[in-house]
Amino acid sequence: MDGYYSRLNNGYPWHRALDNAAAPTCSAINRSSGRLKKVFICLTVTLWPWMLTAQELIVNKATPNTQISQNQARLCFTMRLPLWENNVPVKVFVLPDNHPLHRKFAKNILGLFPYQLRQVWDRQIFSGTGQAPIMVATEQEMVERVASTLGSIGYVESGSSYPQVRTLEVR
Amino acid sequence: MHRRVIALLPVLGLMSANAEESQSIWDPLQVHGFASQAVVRTSDNHFFGNSPETSFDFTEIGINASLLINPQILLSGQLLARRAGNMYDGTPNLDYGLADFTLASSIEHRWGLRAGRIKNPLGIYNETRDVPFTHPGIFLPQVVYFDKIRNLALSLDGLMFYGETYSNLGALSLTVGGGRSVLDDNVEWTFLRNDYDGEFQPNGIVGLARLWYSAPGEQLKFGLSGTTLSLQFDPGQHSPLNAGTTDIFYWIASIQYDAEDWTLTAEYAHEPLEWRDYGPLLSNFRTTVEGYYLQGTYRIRPNVELLLRYEEGFANRNDRDGVEFSLLRGPPPFTYFSKIWTAGLRWDINREWMVRAEYQRHHGTFVLSYRENPDPSQLSEYWNLFAVQAAFRF
Repeated sequence: MDGYYSRLNNGYPWHRALDNAAAPTCSAINRSSGRLKKVFICLTVTLWPWMLTAQELIVNKATPNTQISQNQARLCFTMRLPLWENNVPVKVFVLPDNHPLHRKFAKNILGLFPYQLRQVWDRQIFSGTGQAPIMVATEQEMVERVASTLGSIGYVESGSSYPQVRTLEVR
Repeated sequence: MHRRVIALLPVLGLMSANAEESQSIWDPLQVHGFASQAVVRTSDNHFFGNSPETSFDFTEIGINASLLINPQILLSGQLLARRAGNMYDGTPNLDYGLADFTLASSIEHRWGLRAGRIKNPLGIYNETRDVPFTHPGIFLPQVVYFDKIRNLALSLDGLMFYGETYSNLGALSLTVGGGRSVLDDNVEWTFLRNDYDGEFQPNGIVGLARLWYSAPGEQLKFGLSGTTLSLQFDPGQHSPLNAGTTDIFYWIASIQYDAEDWTLTAEYAHEPLEWRDYGPLLSNFRTTVEGYYLQGTYRIRPNVELLLRYEEGFANRNDRDGVEFSLLRGPPPFTYFSKIWTAGLRWDINREWMVRAEYQRHHGTFVLSYRENPDPSQLSEYWNLFAVQAAFRF
């Protein structure tokens, strides 16, 4: 985990740009000067692989849902929704707090800052009123666990790369 | 974290190697814990030990386990060993031990019941007040979360009902509880200014309520929480006091705003108190304690946080300079209020370790424990505090 932190620390402002890469900022760009446009083009080329992808929710294939509201997604990831509509227990998988994918997912899909998720989980864990989500180390492990666990929910950079899980559309 | 639990279980001889496939009954078991050690130095006055000569007497160690029997029933418990100067000696005790029953849940609401020893959801921090990772600063704002009388509203043995509704407008939650409060000697030291022959007993049940609103995305949260309780002094043979009662109503108004890099928090605490029937040594007496703080945290990186806080607290909100109380009861006026500036720095080194440092500038000594400072003539009106803390979690 130390590796993540040192990368995070060394390139933090850069990192922030990556966090926001999936958010639409084009209108701001249109108003900017020529110099800024050059910077934008440079950034676009550099960041292209990230800009191509938005984070996506994934669930186990046996889960009937194909879409979910942002509210319901927040309830899942703040551990306040114990059951799916078909009464299967919700099992939540997450990456470590400082994982770049986790940070982007929290902000762009849930509309929460990663530290807020941590606060919610810690309050539940240390007051005995709830449990923590199951933490996995990598995106690959996330996919494997979601594919093999009934009622599971997690997230990936791009769902189309993983046919073994179902992508959930967030409305 | 779950992986760690999986790693622990073979040690207990309970478990096969592959948890998620075997679906053993121990899968839903989670174990977490924390440990912290602080070093405290003050210019004058005792705070968490013999701080003028550097105190190491602030240690917190907790371990908890929770077992999800089915999606509706959660069992959980935490043992806490806490050493805090003369106030706590580190004897482990049951911090909470409860069964949580979800009675109904959907994407619009959730209702449930908790039974057992339950942490009181008072203010923003009380439920996890002894877990260093869950609050900014080594010390909580003392004018609201008194450590000198921490157990007064810490937890209760009883029942709590909770209900939450969720919509596009945010979440609204209501908690109502009742039971027996979990007291200790510090309550007596603070309310009777001594450890007389005899003991405080809860007089009837303690009641608790909390109403809380969070905006969608949880950026804005605010709420009211309060508890009402009565204590009965059960005098021993050599007690100079009669069997008096102390009535307490303690409520907190809270508001917090989260931005990506910073968080602003403000809380206001109001606590009417009444002492009755203790006899000639402690005549009938009423006061309203008041405290409030404004706190800002700024994250210069996701794992480095700056803290700035200002707080004020008064033994009697109608006598904020303490002059009347001083004439009536003795010790100098500054012992009846506290005005505190705090600046701090926190660094989360990795997922397990955190270190932080804190400086406080105090005017007044209201927040100090009488148990740690029994002779008011030894107290200094203006004093400084410096502390560092290292904390570990899993």
